[in-house]
Amino acid sequence: MSLSAHQLSVGYHGHTIVKKMDLTLPDGRFIALLGPNGCGKSTLLKCFARILPAMSGEVNWQGQNLHHYPSKQLAKALALLPQTQPIPEGIKVKDLVAYGRSPYTGFWGKLSTQDHQIVEQMMQQTGTYELRDQLVSELSGGQRQRVWLAMVLAQDTPYLLLDEPTTYMDINHQVELMHQLQALNKQGKTIITVLHDINQAARYCDHLVVMKAGELKYQGSPEEVLTSAMLKDVFSLSAQIHQDPVSGTPMCVVED
Amino acid sequence: MSHLFRSVSLGLFLCLGLLLISWWNLFAWSVVPVSGADVLHAFTSFNDQSIAHRIVLDLRLPRLLTALLVGACLASAGTIMQGLTRNPLAAPSVLGVNAGAALGMALVSTLPFLYGALSTSIAAMLGGGVAWLLVMLLGSAWRVGANEHGRLVLAGVAISALCAALTKAVVIMEEDQAAGVMTWLAGSLADARWQKWQTFWPVASISLIGALGLAPSLNVLQLGEDNARNLGINLLRSKLFGSLLVLMLVGAAISAVGSIGFVGLIVPHIARLMFGQDFRLCLPVAMIIGALLVTLADTLSRAVTYPMETPAGAILALIGAPFFIYLVRKRTL
Amino acid sequence: MTAQRFFPFALIMLFALSLANLLFGAVSLSLHDIWQGLFVGSEQHFTVYEYRLPRLFLAILVGAGLALSGALVQGVIRNPLASPDVLGVSHGAGLAAVFYMTYFNGASTEWLPEVALSGGLCAALILWYLCGAHSSAIKLAITGVALAAFWASCIDFLMLTKPLEINNALLWLTGSLWGRSWPQLQALLPWFVLVPFALGLSKYLNVLDLGDDSANSLGVSPQSVRLLSLAIAVALTAACVSVCGPIGFLGLVAPHLTRKLVGGRHQSLLPATMLTGACLLLAADLAARTLAPPIELPAGILTAIIGAPYFLWLLLRMK
Repeated sequence: MSLSAHQLSVGYHGHTIVKKMDLTLPDGRFIALLGPNGCGKSTLLKCFARILPAMSGEVNWQGQNLHHYPSKQLAKALALLPQTQPIPEGIKVKDLVAYGRSPYTGFWGKLSTQDHQIVEQMMQQTGTYELRDQLVSELSGGQRQRVWLAMVLAQDTPYLLLDEPTTYMDINHQVELMHQLQALNKQGKTIITVLHDINQAARYCDHLVVMKAGELKYQGSPEEVLTSAMLKDVFSLSAQIHQDPVSGTPMCVVED
Repeated sequence: MSHLFRSVSLGLFLCLGLLLISWWNLFAWSVVPVSGADVLHAFTSFNDQSIAHRIVLDLRLPRLLTALLVGACLASAGTIMQGLTRNPLAAPSVLGVNAGAALGMALVSTLPFLYGALSTSIAAMLGGGVAWLLVMLLGSAWRVGANEHGRLVLAGVAISALCAALTKAVVIMEEDQAAGVMTWLAGSLADARWQKWQTFWPVASISLIGALGLAPSLNVLQLGEDNARNLGINLLRSKLFGSLLVLMLVGAAISAVGSIGFVGLIVPHIARLMFGQDFRLCLPVAMIIGALLVTLADTLSRAVTYPMETPAGAILALIGAPFFIYLVRKRTL
Repeated sequence: MTAQRFFPFALIMLFALSLANLLFGAVSLSLHDIWQGLFVGSEQHFTVYEYRLPRLFLAILVGAGLALSGALVQGVIRNPLASPDVLGVSHGAGLAAVFYMTYFNGASTEWLPEVALSGGLCAALILWYLCGAHSSAIKLAITGVALAAFWASCIDFLMLTKPLEINNALLWLTGSLWGRSWPQLQALLPWFVLVPFALGLSKYLNVLDLGDDSANSLGVSPQSVRLLSLAIAVALTAACVSVCGPIGFLGLVAPHLTRKLVGGRHQSLLPATMLTGACLLLAADLAARTLAPPIELPAGILTAIIGAPYFLWLLLRMK
């Protein structure tokens, strides 16, 4: 079942960013892609979301090349929340969330009762149900991010890909989002997210993938991966690892 | 030294070209045959009986002089506008001055209650002034930033479209001589006579001399408004003076020959390319090149559909519009 | 206003305007006259059946067609300033048609829509080539405007160098419904088979509003939706232009106005825009005929007088 890369190279305009990578992402986990800027973590995610084609090698899913599946079938399996979203004009929250159902609807995009149920459920789950009749363009940034998450959830896919979802959020919204993702993971979704904050990843995710310069360096549970040696190697940073007093997960503290 | 030499030789070359084209303009593609020699003889030994001589002095000469002056006016107006807005796309026709002036003239010459209240050239200036003011306000031109360049042009285009629609509406309501109006809107020199010249040249020459006086402050203005203020330029006064000059130049030109576009856009770029950024040099050179271009277009306007005439403005637009596209493409907007 | 309330309202407006278009003009008719006029032999038969009725249908079709293409272009380019006439497509189509009319004088006007279509397509392709796929809103608009200026100057040139044909072409070019009748309607109608295809794109246009990455992830290929929508928009615009000449700003104003009223979901936006466009053009044509009878203003002038200030307002509002 699981998503995996075999000898995968990805890049833009003939410029290779991810180089001959072999990687298997375990199913049912909450996975964080980590690494310094430009290491190729977002590029890799975009290839998994089939926005970028593979230059060589392939992404496998259920034993077949991902890029060979019909796009509508894949849209029911993999959903992506891009890092930045446009602000569509004149669209209400409930309409936007309903767009997430478009892989399931017919020619005219008419929603069935089941579609309506899912849309409502996802709005409730993300706390956007009260906003449903407001225009997306009139929401605050944090509200908008939640609405987009509801849209992606309405796509009802076993895999959820997120590209730095916490980057432009206030700290309270970040925490809220990570809790939501954790809950979704418990429901059985595989969540793959690019993150910037290592401590955040160690605290909420249960599988970390660390990349450097387009290559896979470390992967495993936070306890295995988050070590002083890894931080020195990948980020050229001297840091100590302590136990988070609240959750018990590892946490890095930077040395002078 | 070599720079000076280059400038001087380029200038001489331009003046020579202007003379040659003027001479050519006086005799080329005349329905009644006129030779190049006739032109010279008309000046040196005028013969009252010769039709060719009469044509040269009564018809061709006022036309040539009008073309020269109109070209100089429009080119300097464009140069000043580009200097004032520091926007390479600024020009009377792009920023709505032409269309506004045409609307002003159409209103004055067709609406009964305005008829005779204003002279057409003042109406053209007023119309152009109002249009330009609107464009500058709507395009937020006084706030400087790279992004505003495109906005200014789009505002100009919209105001032009509005003025053009109103002009057509006014004209159609009052008379329906489609062809005549089209010719006038496209800008033709065919009707230039001594009588019109009498009222045209004083305004035009005064404005041109005034434009030359503005050159030093335009130079300083290119350093940015704050620097210009530091260097003791009275910003408001230079801008007002410059805008007034542009309106006088364009108003005079348009009331003389109709709306001729794109001269004000192209010529400043050519002048800068040849002589650099100094407005004290650029402005007079732009005048010469503008005169040259309009005279050339006028000559060609007789050739394209000989023995009929095509408005010179139509020919200039055909050259000018691709240049406009080129400028848009070259800039990062 | 919601979509449910918009449609009845717009339909009533459309009906009222249609009736007004039949009633008023150089001569005012009564309802009775109009009913009689539909039948051969009555006094008003010519005015009603040969003159006002086809013109009414044309106004509805052209208004709807131009507005729909505007909505498609805006949906695809996600640019509030985009519309077929701002992008120079209308003028490109116009140039091809004027060229055809002046140089193939004897040729039948039957092929005019196809000629205009090829002109519009070329204009669109040239713009695409000059701008590339990823241009900013303002750059695209300004290049389109520059191209439109070029096409317009070519049109002027053609018309001024061929003065014999000028009245014929000028009549056509100002964007007027004057003198159009059943033959033009016949030429235009087949192109409206494209409308169902356009409406069928609604679902995909919705998803395109979410950005290319999200569209991809929802199983929609942005490039093909874009290509299809633009092709339909260009074809519809060119067909309308070939009949009435460029009617400016309608394709810009109608979709904007409608989006304000019914929101951005294309399933309601596209049909609603067509209604708005039809109403706007009917109103413009009515005004054009009744402002100063017996003189007729071209409807295109009136739409420009309303549309240009609207464009400026949009420009002001853009960040």
